[in-house]
Amino acid sequence: MRLIPRILVERRAATIRDPVERLRYLQSSVVPRERTIYGRTHKLPWLGLALLLLCVLIPRYKESSVKASLPVKTAAHIAPAAAEIDQPDTIPNVWLVDQTRDFETYSNGLRIDDRYVKPNEKRIFYPVYRSGAIDAGQPEWRSEPAGIVYHTTESDQARFTADQNARLKRIAKAVIGVVQQNHSYHFLIDRFGQVFRIVPETDVANHAGYSVWANGNSIYVNLNSSFLGIAFETQTQLGDQASANPAQVHAARILTEMLRAKYRIPQTNCVTHAQVSVNPDNMLIGYHTDWAGNFPFHDIGLSDNYALAPPSIYAFGFGYDPTFVHATGVRLWQGLALAEDQMQTQAAARGMPMSRYRAVLQKTYKEVLAALKAVGAATDKSS
Amino acid sequence: MRHNDKVNNSAVGLDVGTSRVCLAQRVGDEFQYETQLNAFVTIPFSKMTESVLKKEKVPHTVAGSDIVVHGNESDRFADVLNIETRRTMDKGVLNPAEPEGLGMLRKIVESMVDPVKDRQKLCFTVPAAPLGAEDNLTYHEATLRRILTELGYEVKSVNEGLAVIYSELESSNYTGIGISCGGGLCNVCVAYLSVPVFSFSIPKAGDYIDTSAAAVTGERANRVRIVKEDSFHFNGFFADKLQQVLGVYYDEMIQSLVQGMKQAFSNSRNLPKSSRPLPIVLSGGTALPEGFRDRFAKALSETDLPIASNEIRIADDPLHASAKGALVAALADI
Repeated sequence: MRLIPRILVERRAATIRDPVERLRYLQSSVVPRERTIYGRTHKLPWLGLALLLLCVLIPRYKESSVKASLPVKTAAHIAPAAAEIDQPDTIPNVWLVDQTRDFETYSNGLRIDDRYVKPNEKRIFYPVYRSGAIDAGQPEWRSEPAGIVYHTTESDQARFTADQNARLKRIAKAVIGVVQQNHSYHFLIDRFGQVFRIVPETDVANHAGYSVWANGNSIYVNLNSSFLGIAFETQTQLGDQASANPAQVHAARILTEMLRAKYRIPQTNCVTHAQVSVNPDNMLIGYHTDWAGNFPFHDIGLSDNYALAPPSIYAFGFGYDPTFVHATGVRLWQGLALAEDQMQTQAAARGMPMSRYRAVLQKTYKEVLAALKAVGAATDKSS
Repeated sequence: MRHNDKVNNSAVGLDVGTSRVCLAQRVGDEFQYETQLNAFVTIPFSKMTESVLKKEKVPHTVAGSDIVVHGNESDRFADVLNIETRRTMDKGVLNPAEPEGLGMLRKIVESMVDPVKDRQKLCFTVPAAPLGAEDNLTYHEATLRRILTELGYEVKSVNEGLAVIYSELESSNYTGIGISCGGGLCNVCVAYLSVPVFSFSIPKAGDYIDTSAAAVTGERANRVRIVKEDSFHFNGFFADKLQQVLGVYYDEMIQSLVQGMKQAFSNSRNLPKSSRPLPIVLSGGTALPEGFRDRFAKALSETDLPIASNEIRIADDPLHASAKGALVAALADI
């Protein structure tokens, strides 16, 4: 008696294609008999007959198919930097070997002293603009460091000889104190080539202020957030005279290798402060002139990025004055000339005189700056 | 619903899992889903961050000097900031160790489910009591019921394993075993012609694998989870330690699940007196890795269960099966 209605219920249910209707039918047919079906005794034998009648009386259900589909909504997407950055030439292979509370050592011999690290504001977002289609209000937002800016501390310099050890150490310690207090750079390389982490890479350092750089189609404005700052404890020397000693150059090389490996940084995004610094008040580049003409790109394992056209000129119409030209070396002039050529070509393509095209570019920059100020992303903090 | 105005808004299914919250709704003959990570992170407040979050429509809340990012984006922020995400739930129920858990779960649910005025039906999933432990689900279920009722819904709950059966076992007239391998728990339910016979859960699931593997490898659990979801699979040679460790803990979880089934079936007086073998469906994010089904089937074949199975398969849509089943239950209840 008990099995007959169950079979009928199942047969009837099997004809119902719509899963909801089938479930509804089963629920209405079976649930009242739950105890009978799963129980060990026939406590409600009359329900079997009732169910049989119910099955016979229930009309056929309409058939319908049900397909599952993928979600219609995807969450707001903010592109991560590493995946979007233009592919670099060759990214070094460097990995962390040991880490203690105070030191990190890496497979290329790099040793970072973490004893003076001082957290700053977290790097959560920075804006990236599309070259040729800059929309001041709609940048892409990224999070991972995109490049490196090299600086000089312009601090006091003792003679680099053994008898000056105590003084050299004292000055270095004082410099560390100052840059730590001001969150000036992410890393400092002292006169002995020791690498100190000052601000964690996850945080912003106040190293670049008003600045512009570009790589491929990506334009970066105000690089405190987007680029890491490495400072050499040194003073700028005019012309091609070396500003860094061999120990510092070696340290910079292995530090650069590590950072490029860790954040997939293309070598064209490893530039000097003089290359990126701008002054929005007079719309001239080179507000800061550290490493303006003698940065040892090759010795640090990079191509000579002085030859790259400064995007502040060709993308935003910045100019430069004789002071900047005087502060830079011949190597950087090549980039300046390239940027001017590029701007002339762009102006001609738009049928505009240079002066008008430059004004258009400058207006775009001011719109970008205003938009960044509106979201609190434009600061003039720099070392 | 907020995200699609063509939606048939007669009912809503909501799978409230330890790891993810998934909303299901029906549009014509199709089921559609929206999923949010059931997690959050706290980041320092800045005007720029808030502005960007608003602009990018990232669900967030400003709380004093902090911004709380909840849902899917919390994962990415945790990765950027090198911190663990905070979880509103633990082992299938509200996380007693997380003071912000309830508030954040409410925010996550509210970001997915719009308030209604017409007592729309909503069915949400609840876990089964842990095997051999006391049922402590009352507070969890009542709290969720209150949150959803306050949004204007007529609320019902459905056992998570049963929801898998409602989603996947239509072809056997909702007779069989539904297993949901989620973040906090593995939920198992046996049903016969849509009627739940018995259900239970075991506390070893995705989170157990993540935290155990993290402890061994020194990685963050959140990072382990991402690697696990992105690239882990069974039956292969693992070049790196993390994959090997994941395999070890996955096996342990499967063994616990199978032994739990054996114990539960042996102790149950409610087993259907049917000679027919039952189909078994595996669902949930933890069942996703390639080879999981085979590993589970092997473990099951080596165990003497009082119920035979004629089919063991992964759900058609493992991540959405519970939500779909909850929706089917809600629609059938109309």
